This record gives sequence, structure tokens and C-alpha cells, in this order.
Amino acid sequence: MESTLGQYLPVFALLVLAALFASLSFGASRLLAPRRPNDKKLAPYECGIIPAKDTPERFPVRFFLIAMIFIVFDIEIIFFYPYAIIHRGLGMFGLIALLIFTAAVFESFVYLVSNGALDWGPIKKARLLSPAVSAERTTTSTVRKVGLEGRYVPPTSPMPDAPEEAA
Amino acid sequence: MAGLTNTLAGLDPLFLNGVTLEVLIIVLVKVVISFGVLLVSVMLMVWFERKLVSDMQNRIGPNRAGPWGILQTLADGIKLFFKEDLQPDSSDPFVFKLAPYLSLIPAFLTFAIIPIGGNFSDPSDPSKTGIITLPDWLGGESTYLQLADPPVGVLLFLAMSSIAVYGVMLAGWASGSKYPLLGSVRASAQMVSYEAALGLSLATIFLQSRSLSTHDIVADQAGAGWLGIIPHWNVIVTGFVPFVVFLIAATAELNRPPFDLVEAEQELVGGFHTEYSSIRFAMFFLAEFMNTVTLSAIMVTLFFGGPAGPILWDGVAWLWPILWFLLKLFVFLFTFVWFRATLPRFRYDQLMDLGWKVLIPISLGWFLFLAGRNVVDDRWPNTNGSLFSVEVLILLGITIAILTVGALLLYSAIRNAAEKRELEEVTF
Repeated sequence: MESTLGQYLPVFALLVLAALFASLSFGASRLLAPRRPNDKKLAPYECGIIPAKDTPERFPVRFFLIAMIFIVFDIEIIFFYPYAIIHRGLGMFGLIALLIFTAAVFESFVYLVSNGALDWGPIKKARLLSPAVSAERTTTSTVRKVGLEGRYVPPTSPMPDAPEEAA
Repeated sequence: MAGLTNTLAGLDPLFLNGVTLEVLIIVLVKVVISFGVLLVSVMLMVWFERKLVSDMQNRIGPNRAGPWGILQTLADGIKLFFKEDLQPDSSDPFVFKLAPYLSLIPAFLTFAIIPIGGNFSDPSDPSKTGIITLPDWLGGESTYLQLADPPVGVLLFLAMSSIAVYGVMLAGWASGSKYPLLGSVRASAQMVSYEAALGLSLATIFLQSRSLSTHDIVADQAGAGWLGIIPHWNVIVTGFVPFVVFLIAATAELNRPPFDLVEAEQELVGGFHTEYSSIRFAMFFLAEFMNTVTLSAIMVTLFFGGPAGPILWDGVAWLWPILWFLLKLFVFLFTFVWFRATLPRFRYDQLMDLGWKVLIPISLGWFLFLAGRNVVDDRWPNTNGSLFSVEVLILLGITIAILTVGALLLYSAIRNAAEKRELEEVTF
């Protein structure tokens, strides 16, 4: 058993060396680099624009969803590894068990996909003509004007005029 | 005989008799050498990438520091030591300082499991299973030309690539700034998505090699394959598909073009390390390129037989495997740079669709197919010498049926999701 743990000795030594390298570099930079902070340097970087809002503490829930789906899948994938190592010994029994397990994994995957959990971005099969662009492309329909004139107004909006009538 | 037992146990013979002072010194020397090799390889890789990309774009590229600008990276690194290290007011001080460590250290550790040399040509001969015996004036110990060979070596690689996600995520979150936060959630989602595909394509390797130890996987690929000419490498034995999936997933895992959405300059400034300057930025940069080198080395190890190759001249027999390894590594490094110079960046939804809806189902199906083939092959060995026995044809039929059902299910699920979204009129 001792020999098995011994295999990790070089990994640990490399870890110590890497950590030492990083911290020594930071130390050296602390000694060598100038320190002249001012308000502008310490503000969040936004290409020179003064930030109008604070950094949001939330981000789109979709990313969170991906993380949760990943955890489920990663655990399922890890279950494949022991099977892969000894599958020749398990024979047909193992193969059928694997098929049942995979069916369960795949079924949950199909469920996720069909509920749109893994959909991103614009609708793939989008309506061919968005109401914002009329079929008759004239200067009045393609050149945008200031204000709402010529633009698509949702039906629920209080503005009464529809795009075609406005033109 | 002792050598054979060690081979069967799949353990570095260095540690079998306990850890003595001699062993400790060898370990330290190996660690320091691979540390140095890694740093130098990163230095050369950055230069190589800049030079090659500029060649492909009809520019000259770095040419001032050293011959052909080869010391450019070193000069840049030294410059970064003298740059002011800024830390935004809104950042979380502790996590902000912790994140570079979490990126850099896993990048170093992955390299530990890669066999970079040793003669693997004959599994039946104990002296040709990757064991290097030092000359007597150096102590006469025998060891592998790899830093460590834990029995779960590939899991160590997966664990390290998971920890690297923490580095990216925490760097963006701790910056207290908008673009880094967006960049880091994108990066983490991308990295975990492709890690699933990566892990599944790895499972096919374990089907063939029946071990998680990188040394055993390389030893398993030794010897001649079909017709005696084609090598018995996993890339051929597993039928190319897992390798292609792995290559794509690895590119995404590294956040390299065409999957470099993390630092899409037009949208996110510099991505998760926008707020990092000076040597802290250098650490992220170092980790990124070090990961490129180590992941290329992992691909060589898992799919291309590691250091396997003909020994053309017996005089320096120990050097040939290292040269073959470096040559294969170089091919992959070139490929990564080539990708960057050639392919335009993906859109985020395309990236996620490719990862989840294409790569994962393909590698899952391929894994099932290979497992079925192995089991059928064991149960009804193909003795009459024909290429396709009846059992194999039956298996093929069943496989195609199962895969078709799966593909249809997935296709209808995707259609269903698209229709639902259109009904709900979700717009972005």
C-alpha cells in the first residue's frame, strides 16, 4: 500500500514547487513594481466609460442550469469508467446492465433537450419575416426614422398605429 | 522477475522498496527538471504561436529579442514583473489573489502523469516496458521517465482540469467588474460542458487499455497492429471517432480558438482576466499555454502511443522515445496554432449545441458500440479468419438499430424544444 501512496510523492513535490514559484513571483513583483494607485486605476475596467451601475450580483440562470446538468452527467460518466476497466470480465451481463444504465442516462438527456434546457441564443427556425422588416422593401420601410414611426409595435402596446399604416 | 511484478502492478519501480534518501533525491531531480522543461516549453510555445500565426497572416512577428525573436516571451515576462499590480476597489481581495494559484498549479500538476520517454516496444520483456535504469554511477535505481504514475492517472488529469475551472470562475467573480464576470460564467459553462464530452471519449480508451494509469495505457498501445504495419495506437483501435471528439473537446477545454468565447475581445474586453495586471496576468497566461502543451501531451499519450516509435540507432537508444514523443507533441501544438489562424470563432449557442447535442451523444453511442464489440468478440471469438463473422454482423445490426432509435429521439427532442420556444415567442 505504501508503494501506491508513494506514486503521489512527485505530484506533491511538484505542487509545492509550483506554489512556491507563484508566490515568489508575486513577491518579486511586489518588490519591483511601482505602486501608484489612483481612483481611476482602481475602478472596474469598462473601456473608459464611467460605470453607470454596479456589477450585478446575479447572472443568467441558464449558466446555473448548465452547472447542475453537468454535475448529474459527470457522475454518470464516472460510472462508465469502472465498467470500462472490467467489462471483459462481466461479459454479456455487464453489457445489458450497461445498456439499461445508458438508457436511463439518455432518457434524462432527451428530457432536458426537449424541454429546452440546453437551448441558447436566437430561435433556430425563426419566422422568416420579422414584422420589423416589411416584405416590400422601400425607403420608408428600410430607412429607420427617429421615434417609433416605421417600427414594429407589439399589439399590447398603447401606440395604436401598426407599421404598415404608418408608412 | 521483480521487474515483471512491477509491470503487472503498474507502479513506478522507484517506490516499491519504500522511500529512501536516494529515491527522494531522484524524485526531486525529476520534479525540478520537469518544472524547468514546462516553463521553457511554455516560453517556446508562446513564441512559436506568435511566429507561426504571423507567418500565416503574412507578417513578420516578434524578431527583436534573441535570434528570430525566440526570447520575446522571456522579455515580456521580465517586463511584467516591473508593471504596476492593480487590484480594483470592488474586488474581493482574498479570492482575487487566490485565483491565479488555482489556475497555475493544476496546469503544472497535469504534466506529472505523462510518460515522456522509455522503451515500450515489447510488453513481454520487462526491460522494454518503459523502465529506465540509471547507470551505476548514478545509483543504479530504475524508474519510469514520467514524474508520477498513480493507478488512477487519468482521473488526476480530469480532476486538475476541473480545478482549473475554479480558477477561471473565481477570477471573474472576484474582480467585481462586469466583463470579467460575464467572461467567467461563459468560460465555466463552456468548460464543464466540454468536460462531459471529454470524459465520455476517454471511456473508450479505458475499454481498450483496461487501466486508468497512463503508463499502462501507453504500454497497451505497444506492438504492431493490423497487417503488422499500422501501429496499435488507440486512435486507430478505438476507431478515430473518440479522438476527434477529444480533440474538439480539448480545444474547447483550453478556451482556444475557435472556442475562445471566454475572451471574445469584441464583447468582453479580455474575458475573466480583464482586471488582472502585471505578474498576476502573467500567471493566467502561463497557465493557458501550459495547459495547451500538457493537453497535447495527454493526447499523444492516450491516442498516439506516447513515446512509441522505431529506434533507428542503438547508440542512444534512450533518446529515441523522447524524440518521437516531442515530434508527436509538436504536431499537436502546430494543429492548435493552425486552428487559431484558420477558424473563425463560434457563436455561443453553436458552441453549446455542438458540445451537448452532437459530441456527447456521438461519444456515448461510440462507447456502447465498442463495449458491445469487445463483449461479442470475447463470447464468440472470430476463429475462422473471415473479416466479418455472423455475430459481428448481428451486433452491427443491433447497434445501428439502437443508435437510430437514439438519434430519432434526440432529433424529435430538439424539434420539440424549438417548437415550444417559437410558441412562447422568446426573443433575445
